[in-house]
Amino acid sequence: MKACFVTTGATAPFTGLIESILNPSILDALHEHGCTHLLIQYGTAKDVFQTASDAARAHLQSRSLQQALVIDGIDFNPAGLQEQFRLVQQTSGLVISHAGSGSILEALRFQIPLIVVPNTALLDNHQEELAVAMERSNYLIRGDVNNLGPAIEKSEGFRVKMSQFPPLTSGKHRETKSFAAIMDETLGFLD
Amino acid sequence: MAPPPSALYTTTFFLAFLLTLFVAASLRLLAILPHGPFRPTPIRRRPIATRVLIVLGSGGHTHEMFYLLRDLDTRKYTHRTYVVSSGDAFSASRAVEFEGVLEARAREAEREKEERDLASTNPTIKTRRQRDNADDTITARPFCVGPDHYTITTLPRARAIHQSLLTTPFTCLLTLLSAFGPLLSSPSELSSPNHNQNPSTPAPSASPDPYDISTRTPPSLLLTNGPATSVILILASLILKFFDIRGCASQGLCKTIYVESFARVRKLSLSGRILVWCVDRFLVQWEELEGLGPGGRSEFWGVLV
Repeated sequence: MKACFVTTGATAPFTGLIESILNPSILDALHEHGCTHLLIQYGTAKDVFQTASDAARAHLQSRSLQQALVIDGIDFNPAGLQEQFRLVQQTSGLVISHAGSGSILEALRFQIPLIVVPNTALLDNHQEELAVAMERSNYLIRGDVNNLGPAIEKSEGFRVKMSQFPPLTSGKHRETKSFAAIMDETLGFLD
Repeated sequence: MAPPPSALYTTTFFLAFLLTLFVAASLRLLAILPHGPFRPTPIRRRPIATRVLIVLGSGGHTHEMFYLLRDLDTRKYTHRTYVVSSGDAFSASRAVEFEGVLEARAREAEREKEERDLASTNPTIKTRRQRDNADDTITARPFCVGPDHYTITTLPRARAIHQSLLTTPFTCLLTLLSAFGPLLSSPSELSSPNHNQNPSTPAPSASPDPYDISTRTPPSLLLTNGPATSVILILASLILKFFDIRGCASQGLCKTIYVESFARVRKLSLSGRILVWCVDRFLVQWEELEGLGPGGRSEFWGVLV
């Protein structure tokens, strides 16, 4: 078993990502990379997921792969996505996420290959900036919503070379401090 | 003969009066606003009780705030006040959940300590207890967890989604007025920890209970990472400092720390651009944002979340 988990955001789900991941060519790519389960957190966009997943299942059926790649969807879980991330971690799977910082920060703590897909339709697009900066630091792979293929390709070898998050004191900056230490320092507490 | 007092009611007099008031207010503002980069506070003895006010806001901000607080030591920060906006049930439930984690961690530490005490011989315990008492190290202090040590306050929303710009100033004012509540004193009864449980704690009857005092004074520290409510809370804290209400300015209470969201890589958020002028410490999480603001005061100490 190898799980691929897709998360699209809670408040305003990234419907483009749902449609993109259920594209026939992407499904084939996932199958080629050994994915057996595709789990999509669709949030409030259940209708989009329903139509796209029906088409996707039809495609898999035509290639008689419906047993090899199982598609499932979940709503929004207010308790967080730890359970899903743990499943991916245990099955050496893959997470494909919208570029919300919450999902990114949560997923990275599981040390699993993460593809982040910025929503280019958003107006104030600092999502893209974050994804670029995080990719530069080798924490994740940035994916293009119009073509997820190359990112899925890259994810295979990424597991071994990805940087650890949160970073340990690195040689790059002269000094790092934890937030707890900064709080103590601000109040002048010693120890 | 002296002119009648009504002679003072002239335009010139009013202008002069306003000018004097303006100069005085500006000087006061200059005195309370921070200048340039943060300079370390003189090291002082840690008070027994310290209240910290934590501003939570919509999904992303709340998420990051609890990542920031993951190593919070409840022996130092004995009382926590969480401020949420009305209708934000998510943040409130995350606060309760986080306090649960703190409680579990404290129980685990207590259990480990007991095991260690049991493992060592009796005389050693005594001497260690005595030594701990003498220099009052952090390990001798009780963990301050449970419902007595935190409160969640709700403030009316500064601006509802799709609210018209015309009515926004009024709702902001309402938020500002209600912000003074949690700033002046702890919103509800936060009591002292059970002293019987920990014999190394000094008896509360000896002096006014420090735990009690900390709930009736402004918080020592105000933490925020940028929801709209936080701008109003910081403004309220500035007003308290301006008039030195309950020693906010003179006793160095209400120190403010702002942490820019991890999602901000190259540009500060709107809250950030406002608050960089008035918080005591302004922290950013990407190197590109270091040294921004007046006097280059934004600090970068690595990723904090």
